[in-house]
Amino acid sequence: MNKQLTLSLLCSAVAASGALAAAPQYQIADILTADAPSASRSKEWKPGAGIPLEVSGMDWMPDGRLAVATRKGEVWMLEGVLAPTPDKVTFKLFASGLHEPLGALSDGDGLLVTQRTEVTRLRDTNGDGVADEYLSAGGGWNVSGAYHGYAYGPKRDGRGNLWVTLNLDMGDHSANKAPWRGWGGTIGPDGAFRPLAAGMRSPCGIGAGPGGDMFCVDQQGTWVPATPIYHLRKGAFFLNPEGIAPQSLPESPVKLSANVPTKLPYPDAVHALPEMCPPAVWLPYNKMGRSGTDLVLCDAGGKFGPFDGQLLVAEFTDAKIGRVFLEKIGGEYQGAAFPFLDGFASGIVRLLAAKDGSLMVGMTSRGWSSLGTKSYGLQRVRWNGDAVFAIREMRAKPDGFELVFTEPVDPATASNPASYVMTSYTYLYSSAYGSDEIETAPLKILSATLAPDARSVRLRVEGLRALFVHELHAPEVRSVGGRKLDHAEAYYTLNRIPKP
Amino acid sequence: MKRLLFLAAALQFVAGWLPAAPVVPGFERFHASAPSADGGRLLYNELGCVNCHGGDTGLPARRGPEIKGATLHAQSDWLATFISNPDAAHPGTPMPGLLAGKSAGDAHAIVQYLATLKPKGALKLKPSRHVNAARGKELFHTVGCVSCHTPRAGSSPAEVPPKESDFTYASLGFPDLRQKTNVTVLADFLLDPLKLRPSGRMPKLLSSEDDAMDIAGYLLDFEHSDGRLSLGIRPLGTSPELVTQGRALVAQARCAACHELPKEVAAAPQKLQKQSGGCLDPAPPQGVPRYNLTGPQRTALQLYLAHPTEKPSPGRTADLTLQALNCAACHERNGSGGPDSARKAYFQGDHNLGDTGLYPPPLTAVGRKLQPDWLAKVLAGENRVRPYLKTRMPVFGEAVSGLGTLLAQADARAPRQLPGGDDAAGRKLLGTLGGVGCITCHRWGDRPSLGIQALDLSNLGQRIQPDWLYEYLLDPAAYRPGTLMPSFWPGGKAANAEVLAGHTAKQIASIYSFAKSANGEPEGFPQTQNGEFELLPKERPIVQRTFLEGVGTHAILVGFPAGAHLAYDAKSAQPAQAWKGRFFDAYNTWFSRFAPFERPAGERVVHWPKPWSAPASRFLGYRLDAGGVPIFMSSVAGVAVEDRFEGIPNGLRRSISWTGRAATQPPIQHPSGVTVQEEASNAQGRRTFTYLWE
Repeated sequence: MNKQLTLSLLCSAVAASGALAAAPQYQIADILTADAPSASRSKEWKPGAGIPLEVSGMDWMPDGRLAVATRKGEVWMLEGVLAPTPDKVTFKLFASGLHEPLGALSDGDGLLVTQRTEVTRLRDTNGDGVADEYLSAGGGWNVSGAYHGYAYGPKRDGRGNLWVTLNLDMGDHSANKAPWRGWGGTIGPDGAFRPLAAGMRSPCGIGAGPGGDMFCVDQQGTWVPATPIYHLRKGAFFLNPEGIAPQSLPESPVKLSANVPTKLPYPDAVHALPEMCPPAVWLPYNKMGRSGTDLVLCDAGGKFGPFDGQLLVAEFTDAKIGRVFLEKIGGEYQGAAFPFLDGFASGIVRLLAAKDGSLMVGMTSRGWSSLGTKSYGLQRVRWNGDAVFAIREMRAKPDGFELVFTEPVDPATASNPASYVMTSYTYLYSSAYGSDEIETAPLKILSATLAPDARSVRLRVEGLRALFVHELHAPEVRSVGGRKLDHAEAYYTLNRIPKP
Repeated sequence: MKRLLFLAAALQFVAGWLPAAPVVPGFERFHASAPSADGGRLLYNELGCVNCHGGDTGLPARRGPEIKGATLHAQSDWLATFISNPDAAHPGTPMPGLLAGKSAGDAHAIVQYLATLKPKGALKLKPSRHVNAARGKELFHTVGCVSCHTPRAGSSPAEVPPKESDFTYASLGFPDLRQKTNVTVLADFLLDPLKLRPSGRMPKLLSSEDDAMDIAGYLLDFEHSDGRLSLGIRPLGTSPELVTQGRALVAQARCAACHELPKEVAAAPQKLQKQSGGCLDPAPPQGVPRYNLTGPQRTALQLYLAHPTEKPSPGRTADLTLQALNCAACHERNGSGGPDSARKAYFQGDHNLGDTGLYPPPLTAVGRKLQPDWLAKVLAGENRVRPYLKTRMPVFGEAVSGLGTLLAQADARAPRQLPGGDDAAGRKLLGTLGGVGCITCHRWGDRPSLGIQALDLSNLGQRIQPDWLYEYLLDPAAYRPGTLMPSFWPGGKAANAEVLAGHTAKQIASIYSFAKSANGEPEGFPQTQNGEFELLPKERPIVQRTFLEGVGTHAILVGFPAGAHLAYDAKSAQPAQAWKGRFFDAYNTWFSRFAPFERPAGERVVHWPKPWSAPASRFLGYRLDAGGVPIFMSSVAGVAVEDRFEGIPNGLRRSISWTGRAATQPPIQHPSGVTVQEEASNAQGRRTFTYLWE
């Protein structure tokens, strides 16, 4: 009698627990993923069998090998990752003994990696496929021994500058008084670190965006109310003042002209501190994941879907990838974030575009929690060419927004103002760990006008607020063929309202 | 008819409009098909009959959960629904219906009264920022939850859920947890169920807050990763009138017979007058607890009540105790119990060890197998010796306080007289150099075995009784059919005729006495004692950067096969420390999130003088020569310097060279406590030293 009970419960539960999966147009293939015998936050964590490929940096070597740096301190050279099926990938150990390298960049005759203490140029001078030179190529920042004293990069911007970002120290040894924790800068030809921008917390991912400008994704935490994407440039101060002390040094290009405000709505904080540079884009907490880790420009010539020119943003906790559209308003970047891909195996830490238009996804979840169930690994995402129905762009207008879709939209639903729901909100700027959305208010959609090509819709909206996040839901919009949007949400960071 | 009953059961579960019987897994599995007085005794205890009517079942008390302040742990609406109609709100619950004929308002009044009572123990957990339901799903289906509860998915690696016919006993279902609780409160309960339910029928299985949060997230279908988004328990405002009404109802319904409640609502024992009617009536009159007993349950209770004072043997009482606590879900004893075919797939572990690597051990003869102290500790939650089992042995609390003694009584046998042991012979037998090679498969303390990683034997003397060891070693498969453990004394005849002239009893006694002596390890382990992540320079030097105590954050360690090792400080571009023996354990550097400052693994550490001052010296990196020896490069006051170290027997050889002539020689310092010898050389811009030390 009770057997029947069991069965009925089984069936209902199985049906109810749906698994996450990337959009069906994008296929995720394992190159290597591995379980560890213990949970990611265990103090006794151990890697699984085989190569502990906790990916912390990736780049393509000139001969097509994929260089993969790992948190353990190794660099592996992989061949065959772009084969149609990744079943003949070979792994060769290229370098070892490094101190937690968190980035890799193929550069000239070598591979640059950023260890905790320095940027190192690895060279294989005898051609045996193994590095025999570990040359100090840059450094000069303080390393206290705090576990969180990570160094990220290097990456080049469009003008060839070599960028590095430095995490704030946390835990023991974390005064953050010595330079340059929480700063980003470039490595000069003499190898010296030149501080350029301050006010970051955990600037884990950097990369050149459209136009070659340098962008950085930081992580929610103290003083950082939600994951921000910064436009890195000289003299900028962003959010977290815990590492600001070295601004008094002569090398510092950042000099704050006022005390750092606290416990203010973020727009008020911007007005109170002239040097505060608003993030180009906020990734609202949970809605766009929780912990941004890397960004890469989509430049696949259409081979990764209709998203060229946008940033793909890696996220750790939910193991997913978001999409960011950027535009310049009043000379500054701002734009919109969109949910995009999920269902990856582990916390994503590194992204790398491949020449064939696919995307390499490097992962490790050790030390934190991720919805990805594997401990670490490398996956590859490919677009299968099927149409993606998404809001490709969300552009700010003086009186609202313009939405650009990837496919022609159904006039009836797309030009109905009731198909769109918008709210806006901001954050509380304070030393607290993250912030709720505050001052949330609905916006009124006055009209929705479809363009003649049926690919864009002009929304006239009442109640725009500068420096607020503007959240859009468009679940009723259909394509001409009656299809629902793959993701019906967008989050626009309206730092500036365009002038008419 | 039976088929119709099945259908009815399914319907009643889905719709909740037919009464559901209480589920006591031990009864359903071992007694439902042939009701007996023993089964009745189990039910009389487990359904709480004994709490009202008195008597001595000999079984661990099963009291109701802590309900004082229940509204802190459960939504008050859910509580009222549950109290009104327990089996509908939580199919299988042993809580009887007590409010037949009463109004919904009465249940709410009871909740109001409970809300005014102060509970024992407060919520410990704070909402977690990290909840991973996917991991919770994995844990739920591997750590042992599904031994009692219904699996909600196939086992991992992905398989289809088990067939209905494979379930030999009923699982405990869940109430609608989303109506009842939230992630943090549920996790708090999962982390220590004994706090609210000291009777241990839901034992404590988890020791990590992360595990509890993740499983709670899974059971609540929590989609987010941030536990703070799980809605809290809504506070309940109380009104004095309703509280007074509730107090009267609680007293009238005799809740205090099972639940710990204030004296004002005490329930006096109710002596049993007859063996039918009352609770046993298929349609009990109003005011009598409604249990919805099945036919076999009723029959068994009546059989027991016919002779309730008959004292069964310790063996029968032990078996019934194991059934009451559902130990039998995981452990076989005397040929019955153990994982049933539906649940076997959920027992995960080390497949290399065969069935012993997947399933918990049998409890056959456990009372004479384990030392009494050891068994007591096992029951108290300590002394876990099978790390390869993913299924965890839970802690049952006060319910098992007498179990060890009971098992010892039940399993006792006349002692055998083993001869005295010879430690040296035992050490040889355990090892691989002329012994029977136990360490080929078995671990010894921290030492991994040479092959599959079977049970640690170093604690044999503390853990096992010698008589049982003798009995077991003669025929391991008799104790555990299908074990990979061979017999080295088949039929009592020693396979190894050399040690102690092949005397079986002496050999076994010697193995036991060597293990008990805790004096060294068996012969045949590899020479170097190494942790799993200890770096062992063999053919080539090993280079590893780390934070090192006394050197700093820029330490570059070099381990040489010759056994002397170096720490170079890349910050000052100077050598800093050298030591001998073991090189370095890289575990923390490689895999600890918290990256502590490390120390050399070896000994006889010597230091270069501090500060390792050098004028304007800058580290330029290192290159590896053909033998993998690093050559450190620096710039000292504009002069390019190369510093090469190499391990030699008893020390290090250092060769330092620089561009230019003798006049530009950089300052050269030597470590203190070493004999420094300089090799004669005519080379310009190069000096070579040997450092020797003991």
